[in-house]
Amino acid sequence: MIICKNCLHNNPPGAIFCAECGAQLSSSELATQSIRTDKVVASDGQDTPIAIPDAITDNAWGSLHLMHSGQILPLTERNEYTLGRLSEGQPVIPDLDLSPHQAYAAGVSRLHALLKRDGKRIIIMDLGSANGTYVNGKRLTPQTERLLNHGDVVALGKFKFQVLIR
Amino acid sequence: MIQKPDYYAILGVLRDATQEEIKRAYIESAQRLHPDKNQMPGETEIFLEVQQAYETLSNPKRRKSYDVSLPKDETPYSPILFETLYSRPHLVRLDESQLIYILINLRARSEDKSLPVPPLNVCLVLDRSTSMKDAKMDLLKAAAIQFLRDLRAEDIFSVVAFSDRAEVIIPAAYQSDRQKLEMHIRSIQAGGATELFQGLKSGLSEVRRGRDAKRINHMILLTDGHTYGDEEACLKLAMEASKEGIGISVMGLGADWNDAFLDQVAGHTGNTSRYIARPQDIQKLLAQKFQNLTRVMAEEVTLESNLGNGIHLNYAFRLQPETGPLSFGETTQLGSILRDTELSILFEFLVQPSAVKGSQTRLLDGTLKIAMAARPMPLPPIRVRFECDVSAEAAAHPPPPVILQALSRLTLYRMQEQARQASPAGQIHQATRSLKNLAGHLLEQGHRDLANTVLLEAEHIRCKQTFSLTGEKDIKYATRALLIQEGDILA
Repeated sequence: MIICKNCLHNNPPGAIFCAECGAQLSSSELATQSIRTDKVVASDGQDTPIAIPDAITDNAWGSLHLMHSGQILPLTERNEYTLGRLSEGQPVIPDLDLSPHQAYAAGVSRLHALLKRDGKRIIIMDLGSANGTYVNGKRLTPQTERLLNHGDVVALGKFKFQVLIR
Repeated sequence: MIQKPDYYAILGVLRDATQEEIKRAYIESAQRLHPDKNQMPGETEIFLEVQQAYETLSNPKRRKSYDVSLPKDETPYSPILFETLYSRPHLVRLDESQLIYILINLRARSEDKSLPVPPLNVCLVLDRSTSMKDAKMDLLKAAAIQFLRDLRAEDIFSVVAFSDRAEVIIPAAYQSDRQKLEMHIRSIQAGGATELFQGLKSGLSEVRRGRDAKRINHMILLTDGHTYGDEEACLKLAMEASKEGIGISVMGLGADWNDAFLDQVAGHTGNTSRYIARPQDIQKLLAQKFQNLTRVMAEEVTLESNLGNGIHLNYAFRLQPETGPLSFGETTQLGSILRDTELSILFEFLVQPSAVKGSQTRLLDGTLKIAMAARPMPLPPIRVRFECDVSAEAAAHPPPPVILQALSRLTLYRMQEQARQASPAGQIHQATRSLKNLAGHLLEQGHRDLANTVLLEAEHIRCKQTFSLTGEKDIKYATRALLIQEGDILA
């Protein structure tokens, strides 16, 4: 008997996807690497760097300041970005591919979260990722929108960035 | 020693074929190749070979001495390549039932792709009931005319229009005066109820008139409505058609047609139904169907099989071409192999504890019979045997990536099926839960619009206690379409 971790449905041995909720049962390359996320919660803002406004280009409505590298990714062309990492043989492409930034090691799912602009408001939503999305150390409920403020620290698994809003 | 011709291959039978099978194979070949009928150069020579083969094999004494002269254990040449993939290397000795998945792929050898494209013998069966009135009818007629224009000179074509009775608009024949035929199609008027059986019966008799094993014999039904009371008769007719090598495809217009039933009708002949949400798309889909018919390499792959003891087949699904579930039985039409697209079927077997007592388990035993209009000679059947070793411990092997990928998409389609089964049974909670789970997966895979449709449908079910007619078809065919994409990756 294989018990689905997602919905506790009992599946017969040999099953690969849960018959009840469709979650994948056996781990393999389609799955996101599991990481320890217990330390992410401890973020209290002390490692929050100061915003760098000059990095925001004129037409950007905001940008992401990647904490481990200090790089700035501007958010410009579209009002909605899916965040994730590109992997081989994967038909779904995130709008913002974080794989060049060691996203896999940090436990970012292929489609991890959605970031969008609604007027002046900036909203983030977790897309049912394996390791969760955190805002200032608090884990978000999947598929639920959360308003972001300038300077908030978002963690996709262990992948942290600060949101800079123009 | 002079290499003797392989009489078994010439007749298209296995080495251990019974006299009855040999006789049947001979009659089939003879009908196809008879000098009165054949046109291709060299076919008379083949016919003589077939006769020689039959004369030898039908006589037990001569057959025995011929068999002795044959090289041992030689697998006969087959123009179709067949491969089998298991989800895990072995079964495990357990006290509970377990699952195993098997994926089979059939494809044409590359050298056979130079074979001539077989001509068609195709009948359009058009619904002209009252509900088709005005714009829909006009678009349908325009699509039929375009289909006619696409035909090649060697194709046989016919059109039947039906409501509560059927009328042959264009009888099956080579069509030269196309302008006159277009006029006939334009003259079709809408009116009356939908009685599918009338249309199918009349369509089948037209296809029969032009029927020829060297052609792709096919009927395309276009309808927008429910039929009442003649479902059994339609299914029986589909089975007859299938035995004669005639395929039936269905295109359903709008929300009111009975997709589950028509899937079954088409499924009996190894084909499937398509959903046309907007009448504007009729032409495009009909043209696509024509393209697919001209890409057929082997038009009919039939599996005759028996399941092992304690084995249950949960599900059989054609991943490509023409994605759709199969109705599995002792004789199963698997579908067709296209020149550039292999035929891929995924099976889910449930293995009872009683079946894993020994060291090896037989899941399925059977033969694949393949009809290939492009070749003058019948193909030898392919032996199919799904067998699996049994071990005490489970292997930590991950399933092959192709199976994993296909299943990840198929799981979405089955969640949709689950919801559709639960809803009429009054399990509203189960239906909405399945749909919500489905929406979650779709969102995760980036299909935002479809996820949204699914969520709206879940809401509709919560309020109205039932699926909406458009919603159930939208979701079913859209989750199927995800698998077609998947097919491209497999190919």
